[in-house]
Amino acid sequence: MKRTVIPVGPFHPIQEEPEFFQLTVEGERVVDVDVRISYNHRGIERLCQDLTYDQIPFILARICGICSASHPIAFCKACEDLSGAEVPLRGKYLRTIICELERIHSHLLWAGLAGHFIGYNTVFMWAWKYREPVLDLLETLVGNRNNYENFVTGGCRRDIPQEMMPDIIKVMDEIQGPCEMLTNAVLDDPVLKVRLGGVGILTYEDAVKWCTTGPTTRASGVPIDVRADEPYACYDILDWQVITQPQGDVFAKVVVRMLEVLEAIKILRQCVEQIEPGPWRNEVREMPEGEGIGHAEAPRGETFHYVCSDGTNYPIRYKVRAPTYVNLPSFRASVIGQELADAMLTVAAMDPCYSCTERMQVIRPRLGNKKEVLDQKALLEMSWAKTERIRKSV
Amino acid sequence: MTIEDVVNELQEQLGSFAAIFQRNQKRVYVDVPPEQTLQANRYVFETMKGRLATATGRDTPERIEVLYHYCFDSLGIVVTVRTWALKPDCELESVATIFPGANFIEREIYDLLGVKFLNHPDPRRLILSDDWPEGVHPLRNDSPIRRARNETQEFMRAITDEVTTP
Repeated sequence: MKRTVIPVGPFHPIQEEPEFFQLTVEGERVVDVDVRISYNHRGIERLCQDLTYDQIPFILARICGICSASHPIAFCKACEDLSGAEVPLRGKYLRTIICELERIHSHLLWAGLAGHFIGYNTVFMWAWKYREPVLDLLETLVGNRNNYENFVTGGCRRDIPQEMMPDIIKVMDEIQGPCEMLTNAVLDDPVLKVRLGGVGILTYEDAVKWCTTGPTTRASGVPIDVRADEPYACYDILDWQVITQPQGDVFAKVVVRMLEVLEAIKILRQCVEQIEPGPWRNEVREMPEGEGIGHAEAPRGETFHYVCSDGTNYPIRYKVRAPTYVNLPSFRASVIGQELADAMLTVAAMDPCYSCTERMQVIRPRLGNKKEVLDQKALLEMSWAKTERIRKSV
Repeated sequence: MTIEDVVNELQEQLGSFAAIFQRNQKRVYVDVPPEQTLQANRYVFETMKGRLATATGRDTPERIEVLYHYCFDSLGIVVTVRTWALKPDCELESVATIFPGANFIEREIYDLLGVKFLNHPDPRRLILSDDWPEGVHPLRNDSPIRRARNETQEFMRAITDEVTTP
């Protein structure tokens, strides 16, 4: 059969982020794929080597607008591993609260986008509607909707006053009902099950071989979660569960994320119940010579940070690994054999996250043949058409 | 299984050529000479079922160190296999031949530090753009970019001093 090469990118047509996929298709079926990333390498690792340990968490909050709690906490863990510093109990609770609020808003953002991609715009409206109170709550607690900047080595930068704790419960009460309803709606919808089930399967073996992390892995039945495996903050004293699903398809990834939102609400309620007044920060005066490793569970997977210190105020080597960096190559394993209409959905299901600006790229269709360029609208229509076909047949 | 068992197993299997340090209750470092890189990584990944979190390249005056960080999720510990490529050749066997999860990170280390991974299945550029000059590796301590940056900083400092000095 004739093979056609379809370039997607270097700007993600659905998620508006810089990346490049070269899909080789036979008819409608994808037979080969080549992934290219790093169109916008910002050199943050190198920048951090010119900053002091106190300054670094602030630049790390800017690595990603959504995971702006996970990167600083992984860095702080690495520094605590290096210096042996302990975090006071209240500091641990405060860290948990920020991390879990971040998880809720990130998963809801993703659920909304995923709904939009397959033509379920109601899901998009709902999910983003209930994400809004969470962001407002974060603004109340730390002063910013994103870029929380609340973590420093040895604890938290600012306390959250005890009087604000009832606000958390209020918002949780507000979103719990709708989140449960959304989860049940996803679980019960026959069209969604057919549309997303069996699409973009990442098997258990592939997940292990490609070393993936986060919900992408947990949806393939691999029970890894840094929060449970190497507990940080106060995840070890709270009652919660690691969510896994055995199927590995897009539907399993939706289910894992929706159930994790409910788990996060459960964790937050316990935090507010148990937190007690006290110190929230241990001052760390100096960094000894040596190496430190810290990792944390971001909404998208594990963030991994390595710090190498020579005893001065500046790290001599600093390494950041974001979750998408290991999840994206596994796209190769999950997309081959899929239909073209599902390819972008498969990559969207792992919730990729790149940095935000791009170099310029010009695409010139041959004269008079505008069909050669598939833009966002065309790709979305392709995906929506498939949902519509399934909806009619179910 | 505890961290002591992991250290003992590593000592037993790799102890003949590797040096094993336990830094604290969660972190183990294994120093492996470049000749045995493949053997050590294969053992940690395939037999001990470690998950490669990432690898770090680090420039030191006489060699470039490559650290493969393996997470043992059920135990909550991180085992770091440290190996090195001697300058000026900077050649090292590629771990991506054993499992594809190491593919991207080895390409990145080649781009930023210039470690040539032998037998790498897909030795293209990952981080740097296609028109980047050959043989310039930005994270090397002697890279021209770094030199230019230092010179600019010194220049700026000199100007500021002149301005602020009465």
